[in-house]
Amino acid sequence: MTILKNIFAILSLVIALTMLAPTFALANTPSKVIVQVNGLVCDFCARALEKVFSKQEEVNTIDVNLDTKNIMIEFNDNQTIAEEKIKELITNSGYDVVKVSYE
Amino acid sequence: MKKLAFIIFLYVFVLCVSSTNARPVSYPNGWTVMMSNNGDYNSVHVHYTPTIDYSIGFRSEYRRENEVFLNAIQLNTLVKRWNKANSQANFYIKSGAGIAYSDHGKYQSETEAAGFTGIALDWEDRDYFTSFENRFLHTGELGHSYMQSARVGFTPYVGEYGDLHTWLMLEVEHEPTAQNPLTYKPLIRLFKDVHLAELGMNNHGEVTFNWVIRY
Repeated sequence: MTILKNIFAILSLVIALTMLAPTFALANTPSKVIVQVNGLVCDFCARALEKVFSKQEEVNTIDVNLDTKNIMIEFNDNQTIAEEKIKELITNSGYDVVKVSYE
Repeated sequence: MKKLAFIIFLYVFVLCVSSTNARPVSYPNGWTVMMSNNGDYNSVHVHYTPTIDYSIGFRSEYRRENEVFLNAIQLNTLVKRWNKANSQANFYIKSGAGIAYSDHGKYQSETEAAGFTGIALDWEDRDYFTSFENRFLHTGELGHSYMQSARVGFTPYVGEYGDLHTWLMLEVEHEPTAQNPLTYKPLIRLFKDVHLAELGMNNHGEVTFNWVIRY
């Protein structure tokens, strides 16, 4: 009987953790990323970044700062894009990534 | 009939506004329409960019001096890009092959295979701009031409992303076989969002109007 109780307790714990896991994961999902790039000098050319990232369903808004050479990408709730993918999209848009910072 | 008339009007309009020194390769899956009108020719160049390395498209050009009408497939290749913290430079090769037509002077509906190639270089930061490009055009029995042009420019104010940007430029163009081989052209470049326009006039009073839009 004790064994059954223990198995039930362990199963309950596993189920509880399984249900709570996504909540913990979502809580850790970064809401935006700031990417510093080289070559960002022209507004007309930088439109490429807006076009490319606006096609990504995870992206809510993108803002380009020509002064700081930073691109700020804000994600939709509970969504994000992996760093490697961000680097790939920016490189394919014609720029060189210097630094990626999730916030 | 109205639709056909509208299409013809649109085509003529596109040829009457003019190609520009804006970059010939866009972003992956991007479409660009580049139109040019100056003292030597009217042209429209529509291209698609599969990857950042090249674009491919169609070029239609009407050259006034010999009344040559050129239609060609054009390939633009980004050979090298230099991305620096505060500047960017590019090196392109632009080539095309197609058909040239003329019934000017001795030519009686003459059609010839045509081809052209050239390089384009540019460098800019947020205050200054400079570029060079050339092109050798061969149109069989209809002749050939060579042109080269260089630009320098500056912006009177440094705009933020999304602002209307203004650049003042001076272009020097050399085309040995043209009626006016050497021309100097001050021009103003304006761009906002995905639209870019240029307006200028050379030392022979010939007006240039260029327009670029990216989709």
